[in-house]
Amino acid sequence: MHIPDGYLGPITCVVMFIIMLPVWWYAAKWAKERLSSRAIPMLAMLSSFSFVVMMFNWPVPDGTTAHMVGGTLIAIILGPWAAVIGVSVALMIQAFFFGDGGITAFGANAFNMAFVLPFAGYLMYRALLKFFNSDDVRARAIAAGVAAYIAINVAALAAAIEFGVQPYIAKGYCPYGIEVAVPAMLFAHLTTAGPVAAVVTAGVVAYIYKYRPDLMEVK
Amino acid sequence: MMEEWVKRGMLVILILSILSPIGIILTWNCGDAWGEWEKVKVGNETWEPQSYTSAPFPDYSIPGWNSMLLASISYIISAFIGVSMCFLVVMGIAKTVEMMRE
Repeated sequence: MHIPDGYLGPITCVVMFIIMLPVWWYAAKWAKERLSSRAIPMLAMLSSFSFVVMMFNWPVPDGTTAHMVGGTLIAIILGPWAAVIGVSVALMIQAFFFGDGGITAFGANAFNMAFVLPFAGYLMYRALLKFFNSDDVRARAIAAGVAAYIAINVAALAAAIEFGVQPYIAKGYCPYGIEVAVPAMLFAHLTTAGPVAAVVTAGVVAYIYKYRPDLMEVK
Repeated sequence: MMEEWVKRGMLVILILSILSPIGIILTWNCGDAWGEWEKVKVGNETWEPQSYTSAPFPDYSIPGWNSMLLASISYIISAFIGVSMCFLVVMGIAKTVEMMRE
């Protein structure tokens, strides 16, 4: 889902950075006021986890690949603002040291994977728990899995729209329009990355909730 | 002092790092991911994204290590580097924020 350099026109890149600045600012403010020192190693570990799971690229029939992100998982355990920090750090290291995701597209990639994804996942998780009217370990695991599945697809859709609009607004950048970009991105994420994200997120949430509920910041 | 659960969690991440080349081995003959391609044909024209910077380990590989075995090893090394950096950067941000609090 990482958008490389050269896909997004300059206007899109700048706009995405401008959108992300207040998000990062608020995440830092949140960390200053709300992140407990007990949660810090957990966040560092989950950020590392996010980095490593993004290295697993799964093949799909037409030669497409996709990967899970782990943003919903961090949002469920420590809250969506913690996920903004954890995933942004992983994306930044990927962009600067490994060329995975462009540096000019870092704002857009952070918007999709470190902002849209964890918030979509978090809101979906809360809504589902309310709907199930239960918060035992089974309800939490199902809610976490469904939320992760939906969130990664919402983020993939956001990425597809960002580069899919380029043919209309910036010549010389991504040549594929929305009609190609959206189905290709959604197909890969609905069939592969989505189910992987659902199973991993549900499993980790169930494990932590069962054995160490005290480590979960969001009750 | 590292708590037990941090150690256990880091062990899981270590195992995932060692397994990480599975993804590239499975896609070895499939080319790059759509949406992450280098050069594509659109109609009669070839389009190539402009590149502005070069990363020290492009695509988690060590330049010149091209065989599947070496590519897998460089992928694992990249995973170790990336994982440690994420851990340290987040700890760094958290410590800075804690200092700002006092």
